Amino acid sequence: MASGGGRSSSFKVVLLGEGCVGKTSVVLRYCENKFNDKHITTLQASFLTKKLNITGKRVNLAIWDTAGQERFHALGPIYYRDSNGAILVYDVTDEDSFLKVKNWVKELRKMLGNDICLCIVGNKIDLDKERHVAEEEAESRWEPGHYHTSAKLNKGIEELFLDLCKRMMETAQADERLLKGSGAGQSVPSRRGVQIVDDEPQAAAAGGLLFIWLTHTRTRTHTRIHTIIMPFPLN
Amino acid sequence: DVSPKATSPSNSPHHRELLEGAEEPPPFVPPEVFQRLQTAESQDTSRKALTPIEEASRVNQRLKAKYEARLARLAPGQACQKTSLSLSLQRQMMENLIIAQARQDALQRKMEERRLRLQEEANRRFAASGTTTAEEREQRVIYANILEYEQDHDWPKQWKANLKKSPDDPTLVSGLVSYLLSCPDHPVMTLLRKHQYRVYNHLYPIISKGRLGSPQLHQGRPQTGFPSTFSIAYRNRAEPVSCGLLSRCSVLTYGSLPVVPDQLLSLCLLSFECLNTANSKDLCVASIEEAFFAPLWSPLLVLFRKVYKDREQAFECSMKRYRDASPEVVGVPLKLFPQDASGQQCSYPYQSAVQELKLLCNDCCPQRKLECIVRTLRNICVCAEDYRCHQEVDSPPKSAAISGADDLLPILSYVALRCDCPQLVSECAALEEFIHEGYLIGEEGYCLTSMQSALAYVESLHTGGALLCTAKLT
Repeated sequence: MASGGGRSSSFKVVLLGEGCVGKTSVVLRYCENKFNDKHITTLQASFLTKKLNITGKRVNLAIWDTAGQERFHALGPIYYRDSNGAILVYDVTDEDSFLKVKNWVKELRKMLGNDICLCIVGNKIDLDKERHVAEEEAESRWEPGHYHTSAKLNKGIEELFLDLCKRMMETAQADERLLKGSGAGQSVPSRRGVQIVDDEPQAAAAGGLLFIWLTHTRTRTHTRIHTIIMPFPLN
Repeated sequence: DVSPKATSPSNSPHHRELLEGAEEPPPFVPPEVFQRLQTAESQDTSRKALTPIEEASRVNQRLKAKYEARLARLAPGQACQKTSLSLSLQRQMMENLIIAQARQDALQRKMEERRLRLQEEANRRFAASGTTTAEEREQRVIYANILEYEQDHDWPKQWKANLKKSPDDPTLVSGLVSYLLSCPDHPVMTLLRKHQYRVYNHLYPIISKGRLGSPQLHQGRPQTGFPSTFSIAYRNRAEPVSCGLLSRCSVLTYGSLPVVPDQLLSLCLLSFECLNTANSKDLCVASIEEAFFAPLWSPLLVLFRKVYKDREQAFECSMKRYRDASPEVVGVPLKLFPQDASGQQCSYPYQSAVQELKLLCNDCCPQRKLECIVRTLRNICVCAEDYRCHQEVDSPPKSAAISGADDLLPILSYVALRCDCPQLVSECAALEEFIHEGYLIGEEGYCLTSMQSALAYVESLHTGGALLCTAKLT
């Protein structure tokens, strides 16, 4: 099919975290620049998309919200499989929500290894006076992968998503190199792959290709280059 | 009620029977009958021109009839005339056949030359792709067949010319696609049928065994040489309980199934380059998918229902126990459903979403089923908005009623519980398997995933969550 021209890639990002930590607000702020608005997509903030351009490359993000209640905890794998990234949100004024995030990190690493780029997000920094998750913040504030945001004041959110996109792109490129190196690039199936709603169909075709390569690396070879190492303390 | 498109093969009466007999495993027809049914309507419409030999034998038959008529008119004494008549008939018939044979040979040579020429043309077109795989070789052959078909038929040229004049006309695009799907001789359609038969042939022994079809039927089936796919491999990880049966009995059957519409799409694009735009491709693949899956969905679903029997039973248990429970039981916040039914048009909350979801089992095309799930979720959002408006009449709402998956998933679980249809479990599992990969990352994929989560949650209700642990990745 069509090749060359601009490339674009699609990434799936899951949103994890307890209820009330403001995970939906973070994404709403980013995708629609709204903190709280009733006029959002038909699925009402459960599924949002964002198109962006990073160093000349088009990136489409599909952001999947998950239910944070304990009763749905076991359903996580259904949502996060095949994700390129995960945003784990806690409330800086709620220590329990932070512990929950730490457990998610462990689970995701166990299930998906380094296939997935993780972002740990301490939200509600506008409520700084009531902060309860302080000590962890001190040791991880400047490390990649840990962010502090305020959806209300629109702080730290652009950086969070930009950084996540860059890391996901790096991982995807590493995958592609790996595939090319192993000579598997010869028999790319003619799957349409990710359907990218784009004004340029050619770019869409190229984007689809990229995604296919990703999925095939994951399932066939089981070897992935570990480009991003999560420096977040696990215990 | 189901109303399949006029062009789709689901029109056959056989198929309608299958839909109605949802409870018992429907009696599936043997593969030969299945094949006949798929081609039944097309056979009589396309009568090909006679070959020279056929033509000659027709002429000869007429000659013979004339000879017999004249013989009957002869007086009894004219025996020698009878001999001469018979000799001249034989000579004439022989001559006709010899001439016809020569014409046929010449024609065949010509066709052979043309075929070679077209094959070269096809090879030239693919030359840039470097090394060839078996798939690529097959594609070349089919492309050559398409070129040949286009020399024999005028309609492709006409459609191409029309589309060139107005390339963005969606009605023209859908017209072309449905016309193409109605031409049984077109190589794309021949290939589609071939795949359908292959799948049905493999399904038939499994599904025709009815309830007796136990796992051991399929165990030990050699797997070597079969295309193993990503989805099967994934299923193995995700659901260790049921995957054994699925991967053993049906790797061949549906292992390569989801790629069939794509293969057909790329062939369509080869023959109609004008379809190579994002919108036209979507339309094209949706139509192909519908034509391909419509007669296969029922047998495939029987297979899936065998595999997911336990999960369906668990779903049914929860359904029986919690059918009339309040939405609160599954975690729906009080603000998201009316506490008193007075002033409501429905007998229970989210009734319209439940009714929408019930329609899912009626369709035979994965794409349409997926749309049904999306409509169900959207309907939930609309209902939630309505309920909230009723509760907060005075203050205008400043945020959406549903704040995200935290609210959506409990309501969806409630809707699934109310739907009274354990078959949904298998339907959704099959959908995930066969749905076009492109949809899985988008809104449709999100809705399907949410639906599956809700179903899994409902299944776990009656055991208090024990089942969910087995569904987790290992």
